[in-house]
Amino acid sequence: MSYLLKTLTKKEEIDRIIRDTIDEVLVLRFGRCSDDVCLQHDEILAKSVRDVSKFAKVALVDVDSEEVQVYVKYFDITLFPSTIFFFNAHHMKLDSGTADHTKWVGAFHIKQDFIDVVEAIYRGAMKGKLIVQCPVPPERIPKYQLLYKDV
Amino acid sequence: MATLEDSFYADLDELSDNEAELDARTEEEDNIDMEDLETLNLDDLSRVSKLQETHRYADIMHKLEKALGKDSDGGAEMGTVLEDKLIVDCNQLSADIENEIVIVHNFIRDKYRLKYPELESLVHDPIDYARVVKKIANETDITLVDMEGLLQPATVIAVSVTALTTKGKPLPDSILRKTLDACDHAIVLDSARKKVLEFVESKMGSIAPNLAAIVGSAVAAKLMGTAGGLSALANMPACNVLVLGHNRKNRVGFSTAMSQSRAGYLEQTEIFQSTPPELRMRASRLLASKSTLAARVDATRGDPSGTNGKALREEIRKNIDKWQEPPPARQPKPLHVPYSVPKKRRGGRRLRKMKERYQVTDMRKLANRMAFGTPEESSLGDGLGIGYGMLGQAGSNRLRVSSKLKVNAKVAKKRQFTGGSTTSGLMTSSLAFTLVQGIELCNPQALGLVSGIQSTYFSESGTFSKLKKI
Repeated sequence: MSYLLKTLTKKEEIDRIIRDTIDEVLVLRFGRCSDDVCLQHDEILAKSVRDVSKFAKVALVDVDSEEVQVYVKYFDITLFPSTIFFFNAHHMKLDSGTADHTKWVGAFHIKQDFIDVVEAIYRGAMKGKLIVQCPVPPERIPKYQLLYKDV
Repeated sequence: MATLEDSFYADLDELSDNEAELDARTEEEDNIDMEDLETLNLDDLSRVSKLQETHRYADIMHKLEKALGKDSDGGAEMGTVLEDKLIVDCNQLSADIENEIVIVHNFIRDKYRLKYPELESLVHDPIDYARVVKKIANETDITLVDMEGLLQPATVIAVSVTALTTKGKPLPDSILRKTLDACDHAIVLDSARKKVLEFVESKMGSIAPNLAAIVGSAVAAKLMGTAGGLSALANMPACNVLVLGHNRKNRVGFSTAMSQSRAGYLEQTEIFQSTPPELRMRASRLLASKSTLAARVDATRGDPSGTNGKALREEIRKNIDKWQEPPPARQPKPLHVPYSVPKKRRGGRRLRKMKERYQVTDMRKLANRMAFGTPEESSLGDGLGIGYGMLGQAGSNRLRVSSKLKVNAKVAKKRQFTGGSTTSGLMTSSLAFTLVQGIELCNPQALGLVSGIQSTYFSESGTFSKLKKI
């Protein structure tokens, strides 16, 4: 399924896509193609990419390449898949009731959840907000625990 | 055909009981026309098939030979009117030869029925039938007859098997000889027809190769013949070329709803025949336009090789295929950009009146304001309770505070005693009310506040609006 979506491995590619996506939500998935949760997540993304194509763009970032480690460190990505949302080169935060608002950790349960999240981010961003409330009901939000180490 | 119509009329006249008259009439008609179908009963082939004896046939065949001979010598006459006429004559002749072959086939069939009646239904093609009859002749043992090259293997087997159980008997010699002669005759006619068609086709290649590439040489020859030459055909607009050869069969009284296509000779082209019926109108128009273009190219000798014609033919094929393509599959539409349309705000008197019900009322507005310098009244008196503001002031003439708003006098009195007051039993207030005193009501009429029905109903100067005589 992930052959439908663009996979980025180099830093320039990521920079370019963040810069060049104008007035559209940019969804970057950080993960590995082999991991099964990532596969599930990728399938949902691939199915909905055409539906949200008018206001969103989806890309996959392969977390195993060296150039991407900079970003992994910057965004503090530890669990895969992690999805980060951008709007006009600005990092959008999502308050889904979890500990980390900067990203979405885990796979979406249904296609509609993903579309709702993207729409919420779009609406919030168009209004000028920097953080939006997550419209997904809490039972469908993947739960995880952050262990703080050396902080 | 005039003779056919005549024969129909004659049939109508024949509706009489006089049998002798009938016989005489039929005999007469037999002797007149060679193509009359009633000659089948006759025994003689020469009576039936007269084409080869006509002048026309001989003349054309002679010309054909001459032309073919000329061609082989290397000198080809192109574009002369005589050649065009010859081609047209050749086409007509080929049609006549076809009819002739059908007549001869019927003749052979009638004769051979005695020997092998089932052969007629197994072998349909007249020429093949004639060849098979010639091969079998009077043979009773079908296994000795070798029909390999004449028919399809399946048909050969069918013929052999049916021959084993046939009801026929061998023919007498005289009839057999006549039958075999007829078979030879049919084969000769067929070869003559082939020659004619060959000639036309070959000539078409040198006269009008592009036109022939699109519509085929036979139709091209017909078109040229009807138009009166290649240059005449080239000068015609395409809409005229479309109807060349169209015979109007609109008999009086018949409906025109079923007259479908206006295409004439173009109906006989391979392209037209191979298109589905729904697209035939469009295809005929396309064919007419492209063949006109080809005719113009040929008239000016622009492309002797005929590649232009082939290209046009390909174009036509491609167009027709495109028309038959199913529409592209519908893909699911992407969702709209989330943009909440701002609500349409309406205005107007009605909306204003509706809003008034929920807005701050005039009474409340007045109660909220206070006069300067004068202490306001309140429900419990002396600054306690809800203040009334401008409500009920002496100056304002609109709203009055009803007595119900005032607290029970007993309570007020109690307050008065507990609060400490002046020596008089009453509290001085600008309203100055007592137990017995009610509230002064103003006369709204005097102030001109009443309007409408009220004023006229209670009016002192008003008159009766409705008088009813008892």
